[in-house]
Amino acid sequence: MLNQPTALEHILITTKVEKVLNWARASSVWPMTFGLACCAIEMMAAGAARFDFDRFGAGIFRASPRQSDLMIVAGTVTYKMAPVIKRLYDQMPEPKWVIAMGSCATAGGPFDSYHTIQGVDKVVPVDVFIPGCPPRPESLIYGFLKLQDKIMSSSIGDRYKELFEAAG
Amino acid sequence: MDTPENGTPTPEAPAAGPYVYDLAASPQRQVVLPKTAPLPSLKAYRAEVAAAQAADEAKWQKMLADFETAKAKAAEEGKPEPKAPVRPVPRKDDNDVKTPFPTEAADPDLHRLVELLADKVEEVFEQAGELVCQVRKECVLETLLLCRDDEQLKYDLLADETATHFPAARDFAFSVVYQLTSISRRKKLRIRILIPEGFEPDSAFPAYPTANWLEREIYDMLGIRFRQHPDMTRILCPEGWEGWPLRKEYPVVGLGQRDIDFREDRSGVLMRMAMEKAGQMGINLKVPKAD
Amino acid sequence: MFVFLEFLVFKTEEMEINLGPQHPSTHGVLRVKLRLDGETVVQCTPIIGYLHRGVEKICENKTWFQGQVWTDRMDYVAAVTNNLGWAEGVEKLFGIQVPRRAHYVRTLLAELNRIASHQLWLATHALDIGAMTVFLYCFRDREAILDIFEAFCGARLTTTAFRIGGLREDVPPGMDRMVRNFLKAFSTGIEEYETLLSENRIWKKRTVGVAKLQAKDAVALGITGPVLRAAGVPYDVRKAFPSAAYAEMDFQIATRPEADTYARYLVRLEEMRQSARIVQQCLDGLPEGPVMAKIPKILKSEVCEVYHSIEAPKGELGYYFVGEKGGANPYRMHVRAPSFVNLQALPKMTEGNLLADVIAAIGTLDVVLGEIDR
Repeated sequence: MLNQPTALEHILITTKVEKVLNWARASSVWPMTFGLACCAIEMMAAGAARFDFDRFGAGIFRASPRQSDLMIVAGTVTYKMAPVIKRLYDQMPEPKWVIAMGSCATAGGPFDSYHTIQGVDKVVPVDVFIPGCPPRPESLIYGFLKLQDKIMSSSIGDRYKELFEAAG
Repeated sequence: MDTPENGTPTPEAPAAGPYVYDLAASPQRQVVLPKTAPLPSLKAYRAEVAAAQAADEAKWQKMLADFETAKAKAAEEGKPEPKAPVRPVPRKDDNDVKTPFPTEAADPDLHRLVELLADKVEEVFEQAGELVCQVRKECVLETLLLCRDDEQLKYDLLADETATHFPAARDFAFSVVYQLTSISRRKKLRIRILIPEGFEPDSAFPAYPTANWLEREIYDMLGIRFRQHPDMTRILCPEGWEGWPLRKEYPVVGLGQRDIDFREDRSGVLMRMAMEKAGQMGINLKVPKAD
Repeated sequence: MFVFLEFLVFKTEEMEINLGPQHPSTHGVLRVKLRLDGETVVQCTPIIGYLHRGVEKICENKTWFQGQVWTDRMDYVAAVTNNLGWAEGVEKLFGIQVPRRAHYVRTLLAELNRIASHQLWLATHALDIGAMTVFLYCFRDREAILDIFEAFCGARLTTTAFRIGGLREDVPPGMDRMVRNFLKAFSTGIEEYETLLSENRIWKKRTVGVAKLQAKDAVALGITGPVLRAAGVPYDVRKAFPSAAYAEMDFQIATRPEADTYARYLVRLEEMRQSARIVQQCLDGLPEGPVMAKIPKILKSEVCEVYHSIEAPKGELGYYFVGEKGGANPYRMHVRAPSFVNLQALPKMTEGNLLADVIAAIGTLDVVLGEIDR
């Protein structure tokens, strides 16, 4: 009986402010056009005619880090590029998320060499890792849905959690 | 990695369990310096073939001599005569691999170059259908200008320029090759020079402006400086990079530049922010103590 | 009097701005340092190396068979042509004769990839200049080619399509139908691109007479590919030094005399048509027979150096190999990347022009940073 909606609940939705915020955030994530290498082509394909990334509210690829919420690191991160990525990440407004797309951004991929950073998580914190070389557009969409789940289940306090833990 | 001395393991070595794979010690990551200097050359190839033939002949002579002694021994002991030796035929290779060997220069372009440059040419030959002309290291620019301007040569496009490191060679350290293409005559030619460590060859920039970036790449990757180049700086690696990556003694994984942690909290900003926020929220955080 | 006139002339000050490395229209991570006098570019300095991954060093430590994997990731929009260059270069070094059927299938796939690469170029170039619709149309048609690659080798972009000595296996059943369907759709698709762009007034304003590069400068700078052909020089490696099955194919080299961005657009469109013709010929004349030469399991080279070049969508793609005696991997591998050499023309094309034309110039050069930095 307790789970039955009352008459009032048929016309009203009770929810938390946090949940509404999360819902709004997850449904219009604006990614930044940040193509580094091969995966950028698949990212473009995901945004184009067949796969249509816009269905998930993420079709507006912004050219500026100051207007975007999501950084899709699509490609190999090199020693010369790493400070640039760090700076762009710092320029993005909170809340912000990062997807490491492809095995290069995840762990260096096939480029086990002198100039390649072995994974973008050495530069910026990453929320979702997508394997593949390059991942298919479907993989990117799946990874993005996982990110949406993560955003929906996050709370405002999470933002400082890591800082608190680091401080002990 | 190294075998423990006196049967006791070195104390600082990590405990190597069955599932721990020491990446740094893996054989793919060890620098193995080449023992030979694989520079294709007609002279060297002829010498090699002659040596191989001589060795083959010596082996056959030895077999014959062995047979003679065996025959004499058998006749002494009254045994039946041993079988006469058969000259071994090289095993027939039934796959399609037919490695191209350097051959005598037959193309008129190479003869023209020899005619024009005379004693500045060190060697001309053909291999795999490609024309190769090795010149003295001081006159490379002269050769390139000649190839570009001569009416019978007209090599108007510098397709590629690159260098190779030969640590095992005695009297040179690098070879620099220039791939020339003649658009109108549909021909390709390779000019090659051999230079020792520290020698600065003339830049090909006056003859072919393409060489600008190609030579910067050679400098970046192998550390060969070119004389009178307009901008001799690194092009692919950042300024201040340590080492020359395409030299043979440089490890594939580099000298540790890639392991720099870019997320390192250098100024302690993250820590201070965390303390401030905690203070605003009324939470008492322990101040971390330096041990 | 003279002093007085000097006051009438506006004093200008040069400004230095930075384009990239993260910029939507630099096609990757190209950085261009520009000195501007108002809207006019005074000096243009491309800075590269933001995607330098050490492919040459890696390939020198991999066997002759393995190295092909890294060539996919150099020019990642035209992986098959990169594979073709690697495979043919190694075969030249070992003197391997490839069966005729394998040559035909290689030519077919390489030409399909040329169409895909040019479609992607058209999509991004038009997007940079401000035409969004072409992007969607091109990607729609490009997906059909990627499906064919997927049917052939299982990957969309990074194909590793060939083996040293031929192909891993014969073409899958049904690929013939897929290619024919694509050709049918493509003949209408290319009409659509032309309807959208060729007579479009905005497109012509942004491209006609922009970023000129005359034939003399282009040859001196070593430019190859469509950029050279749009300057009126009919140099195509497929015709000049034919490899694979190109000697048996009937096609024309597309050239234009104008040497501007619009001419390059027309040349690339014509090249797509010619590539479709080659694909059709490959399909119709596909010979029967084996697809793999007889080669040993481990290739051991002799002392030899070769330079083999093919016509990639961007220009002349050359592989330089040095083999040592008994070497299971290349002693030295060098790639003559067409984009690397072509990008050198950017200062020549932009200096003295307007800032907005820099974007058109970068687009029309069709550079891929994975190939430039390697």
